Amino acid sequence: MKTSPKIQREVIESCKAGDEKAFAEIVLHSQKKVFNIAYRMLGNLEEAKDLAQEVFISVFDSIKDLREEIRFDAWLTQITLNHCRNRWKYLKRRQYFNSDSLDDPVETEDGDVPRDICDPSDNPETLYEKKMIRQLIQRGLQKLKEDQKELLVLRDLQGFSYEEMGELLGLPEGTIKSKLHRARMDLKQVLERATH
Amino acid sequence: MDCEKARDRFSSLWEKELTPFEEKGVKEHLSSCPECQREFEQFEKTMGWLHSAGEVEVPDEFLPELYKKMEERERITSAEKSGGGWFNFPLPFKLPVQAAAMVAVVFLVLYLTKMMPMGGHHPKETGQSSSPLSVEKKSEQVLAQKEMEREPRALETTPRAPRTKNVEQAEAPASGEEKLKGAYSPGPPQEIVLKISDRDKAISQLRELVKQFKGEIVTTEGNRFLASLPASSFSEFEKELVGVSSTGQTDKGMTRKHAAGSLRALQEVKEEAIEGKSRETAKVATDEERRIVVRILLVQE
Repeated sequence: MKTSPKIQREVIESCKAGDEKAFAEIVLHSQKKVFNIAYRMLGNLEEAKDLAQEVFISVFDSIKDLREEIRFDAWLTQITLNHCRNRWKYLKRRQYFNSDSLDDPVETEDGDVPRDICDPSDNPETLYEKKMIRQLIQRGLQKLKEDQKELLVLRDLQGFSYEEMGELLGLPEGTIKSKLHRARMDLKQVLERATH
Repeated sequence: MDCEKARDRFSSLWEKELTPFEEKGVKEHLSSCPECQREFEQFEKTMGWLHSAGEVEVPDEFLPELYKKMEERERITSAEKSGGGWFNFPLPFKLPVQAAAMVAVVFLVLYLTKMMPMGGHHPKETGQSSSPLSVEKKSEQVLAQKEMEREPRALETTPRAPRTKNVEQAEAPASGEEKLKGAYSPGPPQEIVLKISDRDKAISQLRELVKQFKGEIVTTEGNRFLASLPASSFSEFEKELVGVSSTGQTDKGMTRKHAAGSLRALQEVKEEAIEGKSRETAKVATDEERRIVVRILLVQE
């Protein structure tokens, strides 16, 4: 995992005992990972913020039930994924993703910007290129199935190992690899269509 | 190696997970197949974009907002705990209470709908009033009237002193009775049928007679009269009334209003109708003045 080093066991134990400072430390340590998974899964910054906060409320409510402190990161990711799945279903029922098109304005950290499809690698401006890539990936991800998105977010955006993914998703490594390859090929196709 | 197999190994090739032998096979295919080569280049580009997408920064207000949310939730939870006493009761206690309440509601609804009369008149009210008859009674009376009109001859052979006048009562001008209803306490009304030969003469005689006995004619409708007389002079009035009749006799009967639905009453009504010519009276005794309302029907011979 390319995220920050694991949180100290003592902090988790203090949080279990009801220490609010320890809880704040946990939030500050893990908020980026949780928020980014949520953003990549839902494609909306406000939804992602709300969902990430819900995740930490769940953590605060149930951390006392966590037996193995060493597995805190996996446990937190599992909670995040569960929240994402539920929110995804909720938003899908309300036709939230229906109008989603690669030609729609894309929401980034700078707010909605008009869709400007072009191959970002052709652009000499690095910063702009990065922004374009982010837009493109974000839109492309929203075109994929939920489980495909999960695999790409965990492996290619969050850097989870196949072993960690196997544990999280309850799937054998081989299955994860083949499914991930299918997801990558589908994303390639989506992006190809979008940039041509 | 064919195209499909080569493309299936794109991920493994990109992650450098292939054995040297496998890697060699794929690369050889890519160099010989421009289509697969183009596909792999596109795949590499996609993977490059994915890995360079970077991470989004968390909004600054994330933690304060989170605390706010937690406080709000805490407040709601404590309010529910303190206010929602019923919700905190165990289910084995709540279920029987809820079931009992439901049964009670069902019984209450049944009682209200079945036991209590739905609209209409209370039996006591209909008994006291002279005019408001039940729908059933009225319809029976109308039926009797119709039959009476249909077969007058058949019933002519059974001359019997008419005693009830339910039909006439139903048909009688209600306005007069309505007027009296408020002032008099109703008793069994009396009806008198007078057979006459000269109508005008009989009417003038009747008016004079009523006047003589300090009574008054309340309503007149054709040959039907509704007269009110003091109870004390009523018997005298009846005797004098015989003189008005051409046959020198009157047919009179007490209306059994309360038995209006009985077959006997209907039969009597029919019989009287056969004679065709009758006079009806209805009397209502008052509690205070003791006046009697008489319904008189003049019938031309």
